[in-house]
Amino acid sequence: MTNAVLKRVVRRETHSPRTVATVILLVLVALAAIYVGIEIVLRLLGIGPLLVAPGAALTWLQDLPDQPPSLIIAGGLIALVAGLVLVWLALGPGRRPKHQLGSSSYAVIVDNGVIASSVAERVRRELDLAKGAVVVGVGHRSADITVRPEPGQAVDRRHARAVAESELVGYQLSPRVRVRARVLRAADGEEKS
Amino acid sequence: MNATNRGVNRVILLIAGIFLICVGSATVMPILWPVAGDLWKSWLSTGVDWMLSADNASRISEATTVSWFTLAFLTLLVLLVVITVLVIARLGGGRSSVVIREEAEGEVQGSVTIRGGFAADAITQSLASHDEILSSKVNARRLWGADVLHVSVMPRQNVSPVEVAETVTGLVDRLATLLGREISTLVTIHSGIRSRLAADQSRVN
Repeated sequence: MTNAVLKRVVRRETHSPRTVATVILLVLVALAAIYVGIEIVLRLLGIGPLLVAPGAALTWLQDLPDQPPSLIIAGGLIALVAGLVLVWLALGPGRRPKHQLGSSSYAVIVDNGVIASSVAERVRRELDLAKGAVVVGVGHRSADITVRPEPGQAVDRRHARAVAESELVGYQLSPRVRVRARVLRAADGEEKS
Repeated sequence: MNATNRGVNRVILLIAGIFLICVGSATVMPILWPVAGDLWKSWLSTGVDWMLSADNASRISEATTVSWFTLAFLTLLVLLVVITVLVIARLGGGRSSVVIREEAEGEVQGSVTIRGGFAADAITQSLASHDEILSSKVNARRLWGADVLHVSVMPRQNVSPVEVAETVTGLVDRLATLLGREISTLVTIHSGIRSRLAADQSRVN
C-alpha cells in the first residue's frame, strides 16, 4: 500500500475521532448558554425567573465558600473528574480494537473479534478440541490463548502457542501481536506460560 | 471513514477539560486552605461590582433597565451557540457518489465519471453469492482530493480474515481491470452479534 491517502485513512480508521464526546460536550455548552440567555431576557422583561434570577446566581457564586463543605467537595470533585476525563479523551491515543492486515495491496482493517475467532477456530481444529474449548482475546499488541481440554486430553501449551503464532504470521498484522498461551486443567490448577 | 477534523474535536475537549479542572480545584480549594476562600470572595465581589457598575453606566436610556452591557453579554451567548452549532454541522463529511473521475484531456471533450452506485452494486452482488460473508456495504468518499472506495463486510464467525480480504480485494481488482483504472480501496472486516449467531455449524459430531 503506497497510497498516502489510504495510509491516512487507515490511521483514521484505527483511531477514534472523539466525535461522540465532542458532540455531547458542545450540546451541553449550547444548552447552558441558551438557559443563561433565557434567564437574562426574562429578567429584562421583568418576568419571574425559570429557576434562579441572574443576580441571585451571582450572589450564590460569591458566597460559595460558605456553603456546606460536603456540597462543595462533591461538586468540585465531579468537575475535577469530568475535567480529567475530557483531558484524557483529548490527549489519549483513542485506539480502536482493530488491526491492519498486511497481505493485500489495498488497505484492509480487521476488527480484533474477527481475528480472535479465526485464530480460536484454527487452534481448535489443529488440537482436535471440542467447540468452545479455545478462548482467544486479541489486544493491541498481544493475543491471549486459553485452552480448556477435556479431561484426559493432553494439550501442549507450546504447541497451542505455535499454532496460533503461525496463523497470526499469515495475517501480517500491524501492529504485530505477541501470543501468550495457557492451558487450563479441569481439576488441578493450570499450566501457565 | 469521513473528513471530520479530529484536531478540532480534541482541542475542544482539551479546553473544556482544563476549564473544568480549574473550576473544580477552585471550588475545593477554600476548604483545604481558608485564605483561598477569602480570595474567592474578594475577587468575585470585585467582579460583580464591576459588572453592576458597567450595567448602570451603559444603560440605553433612563427609562429602561436594559443596558448595552447586557446586550453585549447576550450577543456573546448567541455567538457561543452559533459556534457550537457550526462545529457540530461540520462534523463528518467527505461523502461522495463518484468512484472514478476522468477529466477531458487535449482534443477530447467532456469527462467520464464512474458513480459509486455502479461499484456498490457490482461488489455487493458478487459478495452475496459468497456463503462466508453475511453482509456487505459499499460507499464512496472523496477525502483530501482523492476518491476512496470503502467496502465494509461482516463475515461469518471463525472465517479467516485473510480469506475474506482476498475475496473482496479480488473483486475490486476485477472491477479495476474492467474499468481500466486503479481504485483506492479500504476494506473493513467487522464482527458483530449477527456474525456470532451465524457461526459455522459443525456437520459432524
